[in-house]
Amino acid sequence: MKFGPKSTVVAVLTAAALALTACGGGGGGGNNGAAATTLTLGSVNDMKTFDPTDAHIGHTMPFYQAVYDSLIRRAPGGELEPMLATEWTYNEDHTVLTLKLRTDVTFSDGTKFDATAAKANLDRFKEAKGQDAYQAASLKSVDVIDPATITITLNAPDPAFTYYLTQALGFVASPKAIGTEGIKTDPDGSGPYVYDKASSVKGSQYVFTKREGYWDKDLQKFDKITIKYLVDLTARTNALVSGQVDAALLDPKSGKQAEGSGMVAHKSQVDWHGILLFDRDGAITPALGDVKVRQAINYAFDRKTILEQQYLNEGTVTEQVFGPESGAYVPELDNTYPYDPAKAKALLAEAGYPDGFTLKIPTVAAFDGVNAVYKQQLADVGIKLETETIPPANLVSDMAAGKYSAATFQLYQGEPWVAINQMVSTSALYNPFKSETPDLTALIQAVQNGGDKSADEAKKVNEYLTKNAWFLPLFRLNQMYFSNKKIDVQPQLQQAVPSIYNYAPAK
Amino acid sequence: MVSFILKRIVSGISVLVAISFFTYCLLYFSSTNIARNILGEFASQEQVAAKEVELGLDRPLLVRFFEWAGQAVQGNFGASWFNSEPVIGAITTRLPITLTLVVVAMLCITIVATLLGMAAAIKRGWIDRLVQGAAVLGDAIPDFVLGIVLVAVFAINLHFFPATSSISPDAGMNAWVASMTLPVIALLINGVASVAQQVRSAVIKQMERDYVRTLRSRGIPEWEILFKHVLRSAAPAALTVLSLKFVGMLGGVVIIEQIFALPGMGALAVQSTSMGDIPLVMGVVLYTVVIVIIVNLLVDLINGWLNPKVRVS
Repeated sequence: MKFGPKSTVVAVLTAAALALTACGGGGGGGNNGAAATTLTLGSVNDMKTFDPTDAHIGHTMPFYQAVYDSLIRRAPGGELEPMLATEWTYNEDHTVLTLKLRTDVTFSDGTKFDATAAKANLDRFKEAKGQDAYQAASLKSVDVIDPATITITLNAPDPAFTYYLTQALGFVASPKAIGTEGIKTDPDGSGPYVYDKASSVKGSQYVFTKREGYWDKDLQKFDKITIKYLVDLTARTNALVSGQVDAALLDPKSGKQAEGSGMVAHKSQVDWHGILLFDRDGAITPALGDVKVRQAINYAFDRKTILEQQYLNEGTVTEQVFGPESGAYVPELDNTYPYDPAKAKALLAEAGYPDGFTLKIPTVAAFDGVNAVYKQQLADVGIKLETETIPPANLVSDMAAGKYSAATFQLYQGEPWVAINQMVSTSALYNPFKSETPDLTALIQAVQNGGDKSADEAKKVNEYLTKNAWFLPLFRLNQMYFSNKKIDVQPQLQQAVPSIYNYAPAK
Repeated sequence: MVSFILKRIVSGISVLVAISFFTYCLLYFSSTNIARNILGEFASQEQVAAKEVELGLDRPLLVRFFEWAGQAVQGNFGASWFNSEPVIGAITTRLPITLTLVVVAMLCITIVATLLGMAAAIKRGWIDRLVQGAAVLGDAIPDFVLGIVLVAVFAINLHFFPATSSISPDAGMNAWVASMTLPVIALLINGVASVAQQVRSAVIKQMERDYVRTLRSRGIPEWEILFKHVLRSAAPAALTVLSLKFVGMLGGVVIIEQIFALPGMGALAVQSTSMGDIPLVMGVVLYTVVIVIIVNLLVDLINGWLNPKVRVS
């Protein structure tokens, strides 16, 4: 037998069919998010542990919010609303906070929520020193007044404390479960949903089902919520446009593709992006110790063009590190450093660096592109930017250890007191050289003791930081959150992704 | 035969030990800040130091390696430093996905490439040119690019398949098949092209041999000559390429799993390595080495079975 043309074609087709049927056959399956009462989200970060003492602001908040109630709930616009605490009041000097608590709440294991449970959680949070341990830094002691009342005594006024009670510090787990190994994989809270461990796969998807008899039906808009961990941007975009997930965080480029496929953008500005100029005393890079040099760096950047080219204009240029909703924002400050290379050169010469100097910063893959642009911008005024590639996992710890005099980074624009403790105060993680001046310290103290006026006081801190060029703020970036039309979503102020309460089936 | 297998097992174990040690050294020198990364940005210096002692990060390389090896020999691979998941558990939940991908892709490659290669060798003409052209093209297109194109066409535009994995404990066989199809195709195109090329040249070479003429002259049917004699002699070359493809695929699958969001070994390997999660990385490396050793052994055995000439006496 010879292979005739017909049999060859048959052989090839059979082989192809074999390949397809051996591994194909099925199909469809792209409509997971279709039913009206399920919600499927694509998450950038994986859930490491359900232990609420290790909860962390940002991407993983929805995981915790599904299973745990917090003492106070933060509305999408940032207003504080009752949750497990029905009301809260400070004493006159803002050092004792009294919380009135709900009495009709039960944890998954059947234990009743009460003042003792609230105290046990706060005490445990302070002791556990988890990811966001700083939130309990000002917490001195918790006292049970009666089953429905606790008082929290602070070491010193903390304008962000009630905000922290909406975050990691505020999550409440069953007193039987806190501190155990089990809680890391089996959450035991009182939240609107319960974790369905049998349907979940670690590192892939996490399934939550509606809690029976939950006290606030308005927070249970879905029967089932699935959060899929999709670290790869392409996979996340594909999952969204093909209908596998209902909402996910993308970036400006993939956002264009999503918009083309009829997805809805929910943009909000969470982070500011720029270069943190850490070495303000000139310990490693003496030039940075001179305010004129730091100002020169601020004049050297053509913010508008960089934003257009690197981020497809998805953001707003800025010269200050506080966001418009923070209360500390001063619009006029955004005219402090217009793009002016000649002025930058003049300032450098005045400071005694007419030939510039060398500045070394760390870089990771995510910032390689923009750092190349920044190198060019600085070279134009005579400053040589050297970049050192380091593993992404080491970026924060290397910065915090004071290994670099400056670094390109993105920081979320929190409440003024949160932001100050994040990057300005001497205990701030992003102030590794512990820069301080008497003037600034006085301004910071005014914020801390400002009570209801603390955001106004923070404007003065903002002015000080901008005029003294503590940072090189470039722009506030749009958080490119997208959803399909089956659901409604509201972005959450100052949070990387919307809170779990911000989703609802489309009307 | 038994002594051959024993010999291979012994050499396999020495390779295993050498690679484990080498990997451990690499991790030792490349990973810093592990305790800090576990505890988070806000842990104090004292906490970090205490965690380093707890994990044994303060001790010398050799001490740490032998301690790990001592435990590993007893089957105790420890747990992830970051999420406390036992290493064995992490691997056994992800291994089925990766192995299904690779094994199904290999089977498809074997069948399709053999048929194509033989057709090209015997028919020559247009099908031969097609196979040769496809071989160059298949080699030139990286499988991840193919994966992205496949998703765009078959998942997003045509909705034939899910764009990313829909595998979950609740989902049945359908979800597995639907989720695996595109990744398997992305993985196999490249393999089919190069293996078909190998089969083609090996078959052509065999067809020119005297024994084929002898068999023909004795009136043995052409299909029997082809499948029973020629293919058998041509197989070793193809098998070697196949085993290399298999090993290469264990690496290539890392990116494919990312694109299709398949919760397999690839994602685990990338994540654990970037974080410096030493127990997990070591587990992943060991599993890979064991699989490679087993595949090589199997290939040698199959080769011997197919072709008495290569059998060890």
